[in-house]
Amino acid sequence: MKLTRKEIVDQLKNIAGKDRVITDEQVLKENSHDRYKKFETIFGVYTNPIPAALVKPADTKQVSSILKFLNKNNINCVARTGGTATEGGLETIVENSVVLDGSQMNQIIKIDETNMLATAQCGVNLGELEDRLRKQGFTTGHSPQSQPLANMGGLVATRSIGQFSTLYGAIEDMVIGLEAVFPNGEITRIKNVPRRACGPDIRHVIIGNEGALCYITEVTVKIYKYFPENNAFLAWALDDMKTGFTILREVMVEGFRPSVARLYDAEDGVQHSFDQFAEDKCVLMFMAEGNEHVARATALGIAEVVEKYDGCRPIKAKIIENWFNHLNWGPEKITEERELIRKNLHIGFTTEVSANWDCINTIYENALKRIKADFPHIDDLTMLGGHSSHSYQTGTNLYFVYDYDVVDCKPEQEINKYHIPLNALIVEETLKAGGSMAHHHGIGKYRTQWTRQEHGSAYYILKGLKDQFDPNGIMNTGTIYPVEPE
Amino acid sequence: MKIAVCFKIIADYDRMSEKDWEWDDRHFIDISFVRHIFNCFDESALEMTLKLSKQLENLPDPCELTALTVDDEQGDLFLKHLIAIGFDHGVRIQCDGRLDMRFNSHGISNLISRYIRQEGQTLVILGYQGGDGDNGQTGFLVAEHLGWPCIREVIEVTVAESSDLLKVKSRIDGATLVQRVKLPMVLIMGHSLDSPYLRVPTLKQKLNAKKKPLTIVSSTELGLDNDALHSKDKTLMDLHRHNPGKSCVFLEGKTAQEQAKKLYDKYLKQRLSL
Ligand SMILES: Cc1cc2nc3c(=O)[nH]c(=O)nc-3n(C[C@H](O)[C@H](O)[C@H](O)COP(=O)(O)OP(=O)(O)OC[C@H]3O[C@@H](n4cnc5c(N)ncnc54)[C@H](O)[C@@H]3O)c2cc1C
Repeated sequence: MKLTRKEIVDQLKNIAGKDRVITDEQVLKENSHDRYKKFETIFGVYTNPIPAALVKPADTKQVSSILKFLNKNNINCVARTGGTATEGGLETIVENSVVLDGSQMNQIIKIDETNMLATAQCGVNLGELEDRLRKQGFTTGHSPQSQPLANMGGLVATRSIGQFSTLYGAIEDMVIGLEAVFPNGEITRIKNVPRRACGPDIRHVIIGNEGALCYITEVTVKIYKYFPENNAFLAWALDDMKTGFTILREVMVEGFRPSVARLYDAEDGVQHSFDQFAEDKCVLMFMAEGNEHVARATALGIAEVVEKYDGCRPIKAKIIENWFNHLNWGPEKITEERELIRKNLHIGFTTEVSANWDCINTIYENALKRIKADFPHIDDLTMLGGHSSHSYQTGTNLYFVYDYDVVDCKPEQEINKYHIPLNALIVEETLKAGGSMAHHHGIGKYRTQWTRQEHGSAYYILKGLKDQFDPNGIMNTGTIYPVEPE
Repeated sequence: MKIAVCFKIIADYDRMSEKDWEWDDRHFIDISFVRHIFNCFDESALEMTLKLSKQLENLPDPCELTALTVDDEQGDLFLKHLIAIGFDHGVRIQCDGRLDMRFNSHGISNLISRYIRQEGQTLVILGYQGGDGDNGQTGFLVAEHLGWPCIREVIEVTVAESSDLLKVKSRIDGATLVQRVKLPMVLIMGHSLDSPYLRVPTLKQKLNAKKKPLTIVSSTELGLDNDALHSKDKTLMDLHRHNPGKSCVFLEGKTAQEQAKKLYDKYLKQRLSL
């Protein structure tokens, strides 16, 4: 028999202590969603079932006891740390869910300067860890825009990526070891070694699981020496994205590893005021960093590649440096955004995809064309464009950005009228051309209808993980895996 | 009704760090690498005017909106934005680049009022002060030149019974004053947390705005040469770095409770017991 809301709360209080179990209604409402539904929630409308409780465990042992209890009683668990998720991963779509918030497990456990490792609990804020490391002359190299807000657990759970990824890689390239708890209460630790050939790399069962398989309690990442004094910015204005992708490819294939490699189309550039420096142009930019010899050689080599292409006009490095230094989102930007949405009924969202070099421009062009042709409320759009911000030897990502006025609809209708259909058109065009539908935000709850198509025959493996590790399906129902009809 | 909103664009000073504040022999600070934004008072004035024009739409005498700035080419992008969101005309008054207009409210107000008179405008709306010179005088001087009444610290303007009557809300010594006013008039906008943000043009509006020409008027065309514009009442002598001399103490403590207790014991207790 299902436990009642009260019974769930009482039992959680027995396990974690009453101070760690929160049932304040407004807090629960705020914990029933994430930024996917930011429009309706700014207007005080909460359409997901309100969770039974928010629990803030003190340590791994408590996480284990709580999960065991939830698993035994078939109670849906939504993992949470920094709360910056953008794809519905934090939505409590099942009645009487429990939100397991690891933000109070926030100790930096060790900074190991010999082995170049930093170990932190899941609730450590990345910005705080980075500040600590920088004081000691190190960096994680991980710098997502949400760095001041996101925590280590969530960053690993979503397979996040930072702005310096072209040099340092994404989170999966940084994580060395982990501790995670599975729904049956099993605590697992993966040890910190530089590499091994001892069966498949099991870190990847945990990294990117979005709370759908296990709860991450501790993370160990690599650290690097930090040389900000050698940073060199380079930028050019150019006419079209196609040439930009070609140049990006050449830079990567020639073996250069700038920390930043970005290409903005003219529309997206307006959001960043690039039109003030290069009106109606695309903007291509790089940052070279690291040891002084490496940084200098990287900057010189990239400039040599770009300058072979006609029509690339250099932009003052200081413009890009100044812009880049203000890219991160702290709490003040979130507040400002909320105010803007509330006052102007104007909102913006993104869909981030990736693809190989041979089809990235096709996806860029086709997705924009498709939206212009098929989206019924195109007249409400104030911005439609995109940029590439993470490049690899084999391809790059595309971050589509769309802003719109919310016209003639109730707050709760916004996602169905605008966000969901726009997101769908981009995902469809990406999959059609052979790309991947989610580059770094995770699948969340709004792209699950395409999870099977994304993975094709390999969905067998993905499904196997859920069957093995979460047979009762209590971990973040509806995330990554589509909800199967009863 | 012909309404002119005068606006200024400024560097986004929040994006300048201390080391960026370097000046040359003429006390010009290099702001060429920082994005520019609408001065916040002017942003409120522009949006409020668009709202007002919506109310006037159904009256027999619809309004004609002009956005006016005294600037060089960098102002054009902002004028195009304003045309896209509903301004009928975008006007830029170009001065000789050698003049320092930053602290020259006298020159700026002279230019604005000449244009206003020439075009037969009946309502002028401006922000209270610009974020760079912080002069806070331009609006009053425009009113003075035109010989029109003015209201400062305006927070809202709506239509009264007829199109030449407006209801103007303004702040005065902590109170709100509501007045019914007759045109012509100069309104000087205040800025607060409740002030509106400027709307964003749709893709279609942006495309249409591209086709509309801007009006560029030189200061000499308005009958003001460099000599007339030169600030006679003020000369910038020097710039100094302001050292606020604030000190900061970090409260150590493992938990928020511990930190709060230290804050209370060390800094608040004495004050509260007074
Ligand atoms: C302004 C802004 C900018 C952003 N920029 C970037 C960017 O540059 N790069 C990028 O990759 N992302 C970015 N994001 C997305 C977001 O910050 C990342 O997805 C981040 O990794 C989430 O971390 P979090 O601690 O906030 O996790 P949360 O939001 O708390 O959770 C995210 C997901 O992970 C699961 N989860 C959380 N904690 C755990 C845990 N301990 N164990 C298992 N599962 C868990 C949750 O259930 C959820 O599905 C941005 C978001 C915002 C709001």
